[in-house]
This record gives sequence, C-alpha cells and structure tokens, in this order.
Amino acid sequence: MKNWIQAFSVIDFISVGILLAAVAMNALRRIESCVRAYTLNSWLLSLLIGIVAFMIGETHLYIAAAVTLLSKGIAIPVFLRRIVRQMKITHDVEPYISNALSLTISGILVAVVYASLKEGIFVAGFSKNVLQISVAVILIGLFIMITRRKAVIQVIGLLFMENGLFLAGFSLTFGMPTIIELGILFDMLMGVIILGMFIIQIRRAFASADLDKLTVLKG
Amino acid sequence: MIAILLIPVITAIICYALKNHKLISYMSLIGVIILAVFSIPIITSSVSSPIISLNSILYMDALSGYIMALVILLSLASGGYSIGYIEHELKIGLIDITGVRRYYALFHLFIFTMLLVVVTNNLTVMWIAIEATTIVSALLIGLGFTKRPMAIEAAWKYIILCTVGITFALLGIFITYYASTAVLGTGGVLNWTTLKAIAGRLNPATMKLAFIFVLLGYGTKAGLAPVHNWLPDAHSEAPSPISALLSGILLNTAFYGIIRFVSIVEPSTGSNFTGNLLILFGLVSMGISSIFILVQENYKRLLAYSSIEHMGIISLGIGIGGVVGIYGALLHILNHAISKPLMFFSSGRIQAHYGSTKIENITGVLSSMPLLGTLTFIGVLSLAGTPPFNIFLSEFTILKAGVDKGLWVAVGLFLLFAVIVFYGMLSGFGKMLFGAGNAEYDNQKIIKAHYTGSDIFSYTIMVVMAVCIISLGLTVPDFIDGTIRECINVLGVR
Repeated sequence: MKNWIQAFSVIDFISVGILLAAVAMNALRRIESCVRAYTLNSWLLSLLIGIVAFMIGETHLYIAAAVTLLSKGIAIPVFLRRIVRQMKITHDVEPYISNALSLTISGILVAVVYASLKEGIFVAGFSKNVLQISVAVILIGLFIMITRRKAVIQVIGLLFMENGLFLAGFSLTFGMPTIIELGILFDMLMGVIILGMFIIQIRRAFASADLDKLTVLKG
Repeated sequence: MIAILLIPVITAIICYALKNHKLISYMSLIGVIILAVFSIPIITSSVSSPIISLNSILYMDALSGYIMALVILLSLASGGYSIGYIEHELKIGLIDITGVRRYYALFHLFIFTMLLVVVTNNLTVMWIAIEATTIVSALLIGLGFTKRPMAIEAAWKYIILCTVGITFALLGIFITYYASTAVLGTGGVLNWTTLKAIAGRLNPATMKLAFIFVLLGYGTKAGLAPVHNWLPDAHSEAPSPISALLSGILLNTAFYGIIRFVSIVEPSTGSNFTGNLLILFGLVSMGISSIFILVQENYKRLLAYSSIEHMGIISLGIGIGGVVGIYGALLHILNHAISKPLMFFSSGRIQAHYGSTKIENITGVLSSMPLLGTLTFIGVLSLAGTPPFNIFLSEFTILKAGVDKGLWVAVGLFLLFAVIVFYGMLSGFGKMLFGAGNAEYDNQKIIKAHYTGSDIFSYTIMVVMAVCIISLGLTVPDFIDGTIRECINVLGVR
C-alpha cells in the first residue's frame, strides 16, 4: 500500500486537487456550487492528512484528519448551506470582474507563487510541492474575497484561505500538537458562526447581503 | 495564575445568568475588582522573576506583567464607566435587558481573552487568544445591531480584515516552527522561552519570511497603516467603554505579540531588518493618520485615527530600538492607554448629551459642562503631545533615541506628522470645547442637573485618569521605571 501511494504520487495528486477546487471558485456562478467546492476542498485536505498519517504512522495525525473532516468537511458546509437557504435571495455570485479575467489572474497567482517559493524554504517532508500549493490556495482565497460582492462568498474565500493555511502548517510542521490544532479549529468555527450571524443581520438591516451597501463608514 | 484566567470567565457566566440590570452591573464591577486584587501579587512577583506554570504553557515575565497590569487597570476603569453608560443606553432604549446581559458577559470574556494573550508562553496559544479577542470584540461592537446598521458594517469589516490578517500571522508562526526544527533536529518548538534561547541559531532567511508574515498579521490587529481600515469604523461605532478597551489595550496586546516576535527574530537577522520594517510601518501609519485627523468631521473617528498615529509612534520606538527607543515605546504604551480611554469616556458623555458625533454640531462644552470640558481638554492636550503631559515625555524619549542613532529622515518626518496631528486634534476639539454653549442643550442640562450615583462614579474614574496623565507628565514613578527597565532586560536589549 505504502509503495503504491509513493509510486503513483497520490499525495501530489490530492494536493493538486485541493488547488483545483480553489481555482474552480473563479468560474462558479452559483453560491451553492461554491459551498460544494469548499466541501470538496476540505474533504481532500482531510484525506491528505489521513494518507500522510498512514505513511508515517502517527496517531495524532489520524485525529487531526478526523477533526478536519468533521468540522471543515461537514459542520461548516451544513451551516453555510443553511444560511444560503435562509437568505432567500438571488443565488448568483455576481463578481466584480469577468470569470475569464478572474481565472487568468488566479493562474498568474499560482505561477508567481511557484516562481517565488522555488528557492526559499525547502521542505524536506513528504512532498516539496505542498507548500507552494498551500500558499497559492491562500492567495486565491484572498483574491476571491476581494473580487466578490456577496457576503457569503467572502466567508467562503476566508475559509479557503484557512484551508490553505492548514495545508501549509501541515507541510511545515507535520501536524501541530492536537490540543493546539483543536484550539485553532475552535476559533475558526466560532468565527464562521459569528460571521453567519452577521450576514443575517446585514440582510435584515440593509435588505440585501451585497457588500456594496456597506459604504456608510468612510474616511 | 490560573485563578486570574478563571475570574473573568466566572464573572461572565454569572452576569449572563442574572436577570436584573442593577445586579448585573454591580456583579460585573465586583468581578473586575476581585480580578484586580488577585492580580496584584502575581504581577509584582512576575516583575522580579518569571513565573512558569501548567506544564510551561503559562509563563509570565516583566513584560507580560506590565501589559497585564494595563489590561486590568483599564478593565477596572471601563467596567466602572460601563455602569453609567449602559444605564443611559437602557433609558433611551438602545439596548434591552438581554442586550445588557450579553454586553457584560462578553465584556468579561473579552478581558479573559486579552489576559490569555499576555500569560501564554506558546506562540500558537497566543495566536488563538488574539483571534479570540477579535471574535468577542466584534460581537461587542455589533451589540444592539438591529437599531444601528453602521455598527454591523463596522463589525463585519473588523472581523473580516482582522481574521484575514491574522491568518498570515499563523503562517509566520508555522514558518518559525519549521525554522526551529532545523536547529533542534527533533520536533520543533513554539515556546517563547525555548525559541529565545536558540534565537541566534535560527536560519535568517526563513526568519525574515516569518517576521514579514507576523508583522503583517499582528500589524493588522494593532492598527498599523496600510492595513488599518477596520480601526476607525470599529472604534467609532463601538460603545464608548468598549472603544476605550479596544484602543487602550487591545491594540497593545497585538503589539505585545509583535514585540515578542521581534526579540526572537532579531538575534538571527540583525536589528536592521526588523528595525527598518517597523520604522517604515510606523511612519506610514503616522503619515496616513495625520492627514485623516486633519480633515475629520466626526470626533470619535478622529480619536480612532489618533490611535493609529500613536501605534505608529510605538512601532517607530521599537524600530529605532536600543534601550532608549524600547523604553520610550513601552512608556508610550502606558501613556496612550491612559489618555485615549479618558477621551473615549468623555466623548461618550458628550455624545450622550448632544446626541451627535459630528464636530460641527457641538460647541461650548467647556461653558455648559465645565468638569467634562476640562477633562476632555486635558485629554486632548495630552494626546496632541503638549509638553507638561505624559505623552510628550514618551514621544520625546523616542525622538531622543532616533537622534542618538542619527536617523534624521525618520526624526524629521516624525516631527512633521506630530505637528500636523497637533493642529488637527486641537482644531477639531477646540471647535467643540470653546464657543458659546447652546442654550437649548443647557436647559436640558438644568433639568437633569442632579447627577445620579453612577454618574458621580464615572466622573471619579475620569478625574483619577486625568490626575494620572498630569502626574506621569511630570515624572515617571520609580516602580514604573523599574518595571520598564526589567522588561527591556527580559527582551535582551542592550
């Protein structure tokens, strides 16, 4: 099994899948599909952690994989879907820029990350591509946040950034101590829940969840 | 030390469980007083020698003790001021009893998260605590949100920007962990004490990368320009006691993270790298805020921009470095943490009286409310950096450090921006303080001229703060001087 994983470079394939799920965000038109892309991304992340746990035989990594699956893969997507359903608004993403341009810029981001991290940190761990991929996912998440006007999509962009961050942390540290990982996840979960509450408040106060309406405070 | 962390949590739970608003406010006050009493022996002993407990997850040295003392002093002041403020909000119907319960519960949780930032030894736990402060304080800002859409906007911007920023800080911490594995061979460490011991052997290139991420992340939280956009909104829309906490100490706890990190990074990269970055961020913050102070029409936002300016000054002080620079920066943290909350308290009073946050709607505060006007005037003069007051002293110390090092460009720009801020602050608040009092408002004032007990209490707190401002301007007391010197010692600066 271990030889098989190495021979087919499964880890690289999964991390590329994580990157592709993030890139796909640029082309998706409906909020529901974005939530689905995020779910896929989280499942792949948890699968990756699980496989590495199997490769190096670390128990606490299995726990990390399970916790990731439960929180990022199940709890948060279910919560997001509930919010989207509660909003009862148009379900289009409505980006500020066209999808083609958005995809192009994401592509450029990935290239820049690869070029700039080529010589810097060498991760001696399981795959030297994972760090680049994770930084690329973080930047794409940030880019999505900047260019979309729906509040829910901003939250999803933030979640993509955090997935990228987890991947980076994982590739650099081979998993933090479980208690710390749980702390970070808990913080994140609370953050998402509170953002969800605010989305509903925004919708009530401004009769829309477009962030265009949030322009009273300036200067 | 664990008791200190538990007290605010317990108080928060009790406050949420109670149903009577008088009872809740007294409970909250008792909570902060007990906290203060318990913390005194711990803070004093941490100054003389570091305390380690709970499997070395908790750690306190002089620097932690110093910042913790500020956190606790301001929670006392702000907890006392809250009583009158919330009473007023309740009276005019901006908040209901559920809101009051939620307010006090969150208030104490907020104190808990800030205390956790300063007592932890582990960089990741510190990160978790700083992120928790964002979440809790965002709820405090958005409190009573149904009636104030602007507060939701502010809270949304705040939580989104700070979470994104702080995500990068975590990446920086991961990179630090990675650098430490290379040195130690086995698993890496994230304990501040261990990292400090091996700081000289960490890979400089890796640490540079880590520092940039951490500075960007915690800098967002500390309100350094150009990642400061959340700050004016959040500070102006939050309830006044919370604005005081945000500006007075929350920014400082984030800055505490940066200071700790600088002391890890500096031995491997050399002080030029970290110093130049901090000086750059400091000057940009001062420059941007000085322009916005000049054109500001809303006095709460003006105060918020003044916070950015002062964070810039602190960053500059740490960037210039050396014993004098760090001393100035740490003293400035203390001075700013006294002057700015006083201003937020008094502006909360002004807002309650006039019902507006626009500078143009308010004139003659000094003639219609002499005591409040005088307190505000002292605060403004102090914040603008006028000589006999405390902030002048620390600004001058930082300036001296800059001159000693021959950083003439930085010193020149510092002076230029300080002059612009001086003019902006005085002209903005001058319009409000002087001039004839508005007769209509004055009549209202006569009707409710007899102050209630909580009003007198709030004013007592503000007068004490004003006295501190003046006395700290004359001389730095020995125990503060000793503590700051011990902090510099802990940071390993010479």
